[in-house]
Amino acid sequence: MTLLLQCLELFYSFFKIGIMGFGGGYAMMSMIIAESEKYSITAAQFADLNALDMIVPGPIAINSATYVGYIYAGIPGAVAATVGVSLPSLIIIALVMRFIARYRENKIMKGFLSGVKPAAVGLIGAAALTIAAGVLIKEGAEWSGFFADPLGTASVFLFAIFVITAVLNIKFKVNPILLTLAAGVIGAVVSFF
Amino acid sequence: MKIKEKIKVLLHLFIIFFKAGTFTFAGGLAMLPVIERDVVEKYRLMSKDEFLEYATLSQTLPGVIALNCASFVGRHAAGAIGMIVAGFGATISAFVLMIVATILLRFVPEGGPVAGAFSAIRAASAALVLSAAFTLGQHNIKSIFSVILMLAAFTAVAFLNISAPIVVLLAGAAGYFYGKFGGRTTSAPVDTGADGSSGGEDME
Repeated sequence: MTLLLQCLELFYSFFKIGIMGFGGGYAMMSMIIAESEKYSITAAQFADLNALDMIVPGPIAINSATYVGYIYAGIPGAVAATVGVSLPSLIIIALVMRFIARYRENKIMKGFLSGVKPAAVGLIGAAALTIAAGVLIKEGAEWSGFFADPLGTASVFLFAIFVITAVLNIKFKVNPILLTLAAGVIGAVVSFF
Repeated sequence: MKIKEKIKVLLHLFIIFFKAGTFTFAGGLAMLPVIERDVVEKYRLMSKDEFLEYATLSQTLPGVIALNCASFVGRHAAGAIGMIVAGFGATISAFVLMIVATILLRFVPEGGPVAGAFSAIRAASAALVLSAAFTLGQHNIKSIFSVILMLAAFTAVAFLNISAPIVVLLAGAAGYFYGKFGGRTTSAPVDTGADGSSGGEDME
């Protein structure tokens, strides 16, 4: 019985995320983070999730729903969350295809999207900050301690990986899969010292 | 004969989206070029222009981008069943592989090379989210109004704990009213410039 309730809860959370998810999986990330506080997913688990998003193929929203659902309520939970996040796509596309000519010309929709698109960039930025905090801040330390005691708060090695990856991808357009692989190899090698 | 045709189309839809869902990493956006090649050239389910319009809409509409695209293509090619088959193909491997990965993650020992590798991958992945914000920003941030909206959304979610869906609705309302009352309407929406798929705008 509780399992059923948990699944309904997951379905509802992720359905909401699917409907409000403009800008794809990364923009949904900040919504998933907020909703998942209900499911007591920690910042470190989010960092895990984000890393798995990179390693496991497929849409990020699907990966994330599966992960959160599975952790909270096993395989039934994973199914409930995944169906929840997927259903809005099917419904919305069915509606849009029926009214596609009108949708294209719709002024309200155009205006709405002109506001949502820049906001999506801000949402992804916020998600990046939350995830980075989960990765870079040492266990037990707080964000606020960063300026007083940077070395005691953040891991220098991981911080370096973070900055170098960001620069190589943003500035030099190095392939993300290559960067992920390289980080893995470097991390494995460093663990021997 | 007709049923045979339809089953063939459904099979193709499944193959196209299953392949795209299984062999593309780092999210649905990366799948679109792979899907385009199969849908337009290999299986000829629709013209390139039609596909590009669907792909553009898939990105502007809410929802999972790869699944939006699968729904458009599936419905176009084979109706409601096509939509479900294509959608199932696009998501099933992500679902199965993610469960396997989550279970395996529990067996990673504390310390040692595997944990070291994973912890570095976590840091790199966080950086890639930041870089996704940059990439999207290059397309979507083109006026002072959009800069303000971006910063407001960032601050609201990251520091004020306002929920993201509310921020999306408020930003949409702001965009609508800005277009209506403030400044001139930007007549070229950001997404049409890239491929010119919307057509009909060039009056000669």
